[in-house]
Amino acid sequence: MPGIGVYVCHCGLNIAGVVDVEKVTEYAAKLPDVAVARHYTYMCSDPGQRMIQEDIKAQKLDRVVIATCSPRMHEETFRKAVAEAGLNPYLLEIVNLREHVSWAHSHERKKATKKAMDLVKMGVARAKLLEPLEKRKVKVERNVLVVGGGIAGMQSALDLANAGFKVYLVEKSPSIGGRMAQLDKTFPTLDCSACILTPKMVDVAKHPNVTLLTNSEVTGVSGFVGNYEVTVTRRPRYVEEAKCVGCELCTQVCPVKVADKFNENLGQTRAICIYSSHAVPKVAIIDPKNCLRLKTKKKEVCGKCLQACEAEAINFEQKPETLKLKVGGVIIAVGSEVFDASKMPEFGYGRFKNVISNIEFERISDASGPTSGKIVSPLTGQAPKTIAFIQCVGSRDKRFHEYCCRVGCMVALKQAILAREKIGEDVRIYVCYIDLRSFGKGYEEFYRRARDLDIDFVDGVPSEIHCAQDGTLYFDVFEKGTNKLIEIRADLVVLANGLVPSGDVTRVNELFHASRSADGFLLEAHPKLRPLESSTAGIFLAGACQGPKDIPDTVAQASGAAAKIVDLLSSGEIELEPLKAFVDKDLCSGCRVCESVCPFLAIEMKPEVVDGEERLRAEVIEALCQGCGACCVACPTGAVRAKHFTDEQVLAQVEAACAVGEN
Amino acid sequence: MGLTDLMSMAKPNLESREKILRKLRSRDPINCFQCMKCTSGCTALKLLELEPHEIEKLVNFGFVDELAASDIIWTCVTCLKCVQRCPQKASPYHVIMALRNLSVEREAKVPEALMKAVSQILETGLAESYQKVTTRKMETCDRESLKLPKISAPTESFQAIFMKALEER
Repeated sequence: MPGIGVYVCHCGLNIAGVVDVEKVTEYAAKLPDVAVARHYTYMCSDPGQRMIQEDIKAQKLDRVVIATCSPRMHEETFRKAVAEAGLNPYLLEIVNLREHVSWAHSHERKKATKKAMDLVKMGVARAKLLEPLEKRKVKVERNVLVVGGGIAGMQSALDLANAGFKVYLVEKSPSIGGRMAQLDKTFPTLDCSACILTPKMVDVAKHPNVTLLTNSEVTGVSGFVGNYEVTVTRRPRYVEEAKCVGCELCTQVCPVKVADKFNENLGQTRAICIYSSHAVPKVAIIDPKNCLRLKTKKKEVCGKCLQACEAEAINFEQKPETLKLKVGGVIIAVGSEVFDASKMPEFGYGRFKNVISNIEFERISDASGPTSGKIVSPLTGQAPKTIAFIQCVGSRDKRFHEYCCRVGCMVALKQAILAREKIGEDVRIYVCYIDLRSFGKGYEEFYRRARDLDIDFVDGVPSEIHCAQDGTLYFDVFEKGTNKLIEIRADLVVLANGLVPSGDVTRVNELFHASRSADGFLLEAHPKLRPLESSTAGIFLAGACQGPKDIPDTVAQASGAAAKIVDLLSSGEIELEPLKAFVDKDLCSGCRVCESVCPFLAIEMKPEVVDGEERLRAEVIEALCQGCGACCVACPTGAVRAKHFTDEQVLAQVEAACAVGEN
Repeated sequence: MGLTDLMSMAKPNLESREKILRKLRSRDPINCFQCMKCTSGCTALKLLELEPHEIEKLVNFGFVDELAASDIIWTCVTCLKCVQRCPQKASPYHVIMALRNLSVEREAKVPEALMKAVSQILETGLAESYQKVTTRKMETCDRESLKLPKISAPTESFQAIFMKALEER
């Protein structure tokens, strides 16, 4: 007669150091229907797995219970092992003796052993009722959607396009390039950002496998891993992309001045303009909020650009366009935003014109920026004599963001070095910091380079910044190294504004059901072992939307996410887990409670005619169901059940737990 | 513009700072990143409250004049531990010596004990004179009881060279 095999893992001393594994094994051997019980140092090792496989074959086991670490760790490993021995992989029950017993009760050995025995008893009781299940294979789309056209999205798109996948790259702004396009130089090599980015932007636009959708946003998502249907809305540019040659004749004649967003509002552009000097695509766009004709909706108003454009590209009649895309996987690369320092009134950002953010400094220092690369104070227009950098603005601050922004220190070092190089020896430069973090490859050397250039590092940050009548900024700071309260007077203060989750992260969270972590960024599936995946299958993460990141880390993650998609989609089909909910139609009353609780929109209400009467019945869309069990708990009639976690199986465990045991 | 010490209202003197760096023939001290390893191991800190990291930082900010006029720079016992162990090769010992030299140039008074050491060297060739010591077992020993060889007095030519060197200073 077939029986159950019970295997107790020592996990080295992780389990055996607390739980008496021999006693647990002896106890398990006496449980009803248990044919064999063994213990071993590492069940997950090759000899451990072979021990189980040989027993399955020799003793014709029909159920296996493994008492070991968390199923999140090795359930897949053991499922494969039992399947190789000819047993259906879902006839395996994992009992967690490590996270639930030995690690949790390391100080109470006797009680821990008792608990381990109870859990094994419960596992055996449930194992008897397990049913064989089959994975389902579904075909997948070989197209990929990349959301966000910054350096992360561009890198992912290029890698995937080169691997032969068709990529839709959706970017909200009129041009790709993202935050990196706004930077002057990049640490720690001081490569010019535009020099390394612009060729990549052009590569993306020219790649035959990439469809570039700028000025566009994802507005709807349905489907499931391998088969997503995505709605993308393209906002009108009022300029036809195919016709515009990027000559900027229109900008020259446009009478409406507007703040230049690309230059962080430090300069002005026109209501019709090209987003930046190296925009891709280099196509003009009209700002409908400021354009005289679009504002007034009157045909006789202005129209100067229309007359100036030789390519006849301007089209005031353009309407938003909606595209439906079928994709197998998605990479989210929506990036982050820069912290708004006006939330910290003590630093005067927004009140004092010469207190600027680090991203504004980038635009001031950039050759294509509003000052043509001359570092000046926005207050005077003159080169500053003293610059003070204030670190950790909005970061490492429980009032705003508790985490470290991971780039602020290196940005300040870079900007201090740029200021020294551009303004010269005479400018005094102070960096007021809490901890100076230069952790990356070549970063510590970069910090040394800054010190070599006579930049003063002040160990401490000011409480508040004041402005004298002549516009000079001054603040007190207690310096730890000298044990002195010092005053610094500067004509330019640069705040190291941290990186914060953008509003786009909220939208992604809603559209793609990608979870967020406590810091507001998108949550990876596992902090160490699955850093590129979101909590939803087929949705991957790249760049600063997952957490603050510098360029090297962003590019590494973007290439990694692309490789993950290749892995997922290259075979053309994927296997779906069979752990899904299902509906017993005879019991379903059509109350729709399950539909309302399902977080994955996997319940569909279908009308059915019963005895000449039309009634609604719930149905599970298997491809969408993640097997979370919310519907099963909510269903008042017990019609919705979860495979592998049926009421009978769970109640058998409960009964075993409550039975008066002899151990 | 720039920095002020609000405790003394002193301003950094960048010229004096350059003078020190020139004396050192190296700009290594500006690489100090305040790990405070020098102060953690400073022999003089234990006896006389010298904080080498603070001297390093004050020099880097430019508060050189105040240091050159202070007594604290004379407390260094020149054990050279900081030279050996500084992770940035920015050792405060050399900075302190440069400060002492600047101080002498400015005709500050050199502490008596140091002047005494100079005359000691002239007479015996040693910075410290022979001493009897008492061990933990309360035994008194000197070089003789330890059977150590006698140290001869400096030669006249040494004294002449030493004197000449002092006068040139």
